[in-house]
Amino acid sequence: MSWAASPPAQLAGSALRRTVRSAGGVASLAVAAVIWLALLGPVITLLAHLSWHQVSTALSVPGALDPLVVSVESGAITLGVLVLLGTPLAWKLARGSLPFPRFWEAGVLCSLLLPPLVIGLLLIFMVGPYTPIGELLGRVHLSATNTFLALVIAEVYESAPYYVLGAQAAFAAVEPAIEEQAALLGDRPSRVARRVTLPLAAPGLAMALAVAWARAMGAFGAVVIIAYHPFGIPLQIWTTLQETGLPTALPFALVLLVVALPLPLAAYIWSARARGRRRG
Amino acid sequence: MLEADVEVDRREFRLSAAFGVAAGERLALFGPSGAGKTTILEAIAGLLEPRRGTVVLNGRVLTRTAAPRRDVPPWQRRVGLLRQDPALFPHLSVRQNLAYAPAPGTGREEIAQIADRLGIGGMLDDRPARLSGGQAHRVALGRLLASRCDTLLLDEPYTGLDASLRRDLTDLVRELVAGRQVPSVLVAHELDAAQAFADRMAVLDRGRILQLGPPAEVVAAPASRRVAELVGYRSFVPVADGVPLPRGGPAGVVAGVHPDRVVAGRQPGRGVVLAGPVRSCRPSGAGWEAGVETAGTLVPVRLREQPAAGRDFEFTVLDPPCFGPDGTRVSRPEEVPT
Repeated sequence: MSWAASPPAQLAGSALRRTVRSAGGVASLAVAAVIWLALLGPVITLLAHLSWHQVSTALSVPGALDPLVVSVESGAITLGVLVLLGTPLAWKLARGSLPFPRFWEAGVLCSLLLPPLVIGLLLIFMVGPYTPIGELLGRVHLSATNTFLALVIAEVYESAPYYVLGAQAAFAAVEPAIEEQAALLGDRPSRVARRVTLPLAAPGLAMALAVAWARAMGAFGAVVIIAYHPFGIPLQIWTTLQETGLPTALPFALVLLVVALPLPLAAYIWSARARGRRRG
Repeated sequence: MLEADVEVDRREFRLSAAFGVAAGERLALFGPSGAGKTTILEAIAGLLEPRRGTVVLNGRVLTRTAAPRRDVPPWQRRVGLLRQDPALFPHLSVRQNLAYAPAPGTGREEIAQIADRLGIGGMLDDRPARLSGGQAHRVALGRLLASRCDTLLLDEPYTGLDASLRRDLTDLVRELVAGRQVPSVLVAHELDAAQAFADRMAVLDRGRILQLGPPAEVVAAPASRRVAELVGYRSFVPVADGVPLPRGGPAGVVAGVHPDRVVAGRQPGRGVVLAGPVRSCRPSGAGWEAGVETAGTLVPVRLREQPAAGRDFEFTVLDPPCFGPDGTRVSRPEEVPT
């Protein structure tokens, strides 16, 4: 995964002029525009079909914003778990310092490639009440089905690969020669990490975290199976759609976007600027 | 004083080298690519552990594989290493790069002094991405000076820079080494770079130091045919009794001909006289490089004046080193009492 900063406007202008000079260039530009519009289409549609009145009515129902709180809280805890457990793994994957690196990567890819619904089903068999893990949890009066804990577990499974792979790319982009120089200048490894590795990887880490946040906010497939309660926003959209139809579900879709998108956007802008500064 | 005696297993050979460098002395490790030069620097810097050996810097034992074992980690060695990649910290300003490893007593003023001394005083607030290659190398050097490292290791830092920049930077490092009185080691695969820097030169090939001495002596009197080849002797002509033999001479002794160590004309008192037709000639630097066919081989020589093509040309190889059939140095056959 990489998020390159866009070229300066002046360059973009001359690239445009070069592109429209040939017929093939015009065609490829048209295709790109169609894809771009198609990808952005749902967002435009959402805004076009919503009125302020609809939104305020839907959200003024008592308890309407409870799922928002649940989603934000579970998402925040998920990010905490990912940062704590995923960052060291990503660093080790990037440095190739684990034995059998392909084997470890396969584990990360596994949760990326499995359909979320399947993850949900398998999680029931893994942490459900009648499994060894479930019984262990039961002893401390916890349960990993239909609880807040279950919601966090499902969100971690759905978002972890996005964070780990993104963070791995961010760490891999830090040149070992620079870390080596920091060590020779007198920094022990923990100080090298704090003064060099983390600051240099930060833009990529922020992007990885932002993508993971968006995935966690929107997690549905695994959530609907293992954590039907408590409701997060995606489930609220789903049940509203089932019970009262499309128009009442749309405001919650807007809420989800408003909650899920600012962090990725802010991270994108910040990391693009940080990279720009380093390139001079 | 830096003393290194290290053995490292490489894929093709076992590297085994021992040398000492006094305070303020400049040693060049010269040899072809893959000879193990960089490995020696990495062993001194603690970036790799030798299978056997010791590294001692100013009396501090940094590496000792014999009991009591010792392996000081790189961040406690105070060894400065400069590579071809200046490896500046891209997220820090030039000033922050220089002050990265503040040794006790290195204040803002000293950083400014070092910067002025290196000609980078005007760019202290810039990011490394804005610097040219030469400026980046100056900052990397300044960063090592500010860190007060106890030795300076240079791993072909200036290859890839243009010649005048390389000369400036080399002169700068020479002055700084003299001023700070630290031992320094330069790794070079170009003879010119080694000569421009060092007071002593070690010729390294396949993990062995073949010869160690002042650069001029190594070039004038290579200890073996392999050293001669590495320092630029390009042809070896059979000789006996001080005169060239036709191809496949019986003695098996050859004289090394360095293209730069010849003069036109017959001067028997100064070396071995060779003659033959000029087969090729092209401009080289301010003079000419000609290929003269003599004693069955094509001998390249560099001359001030252009020799006439196709005509017989007579020249004197100045005091050539001679080598026996096994490649070891022998005295000139005429000097052997018979």
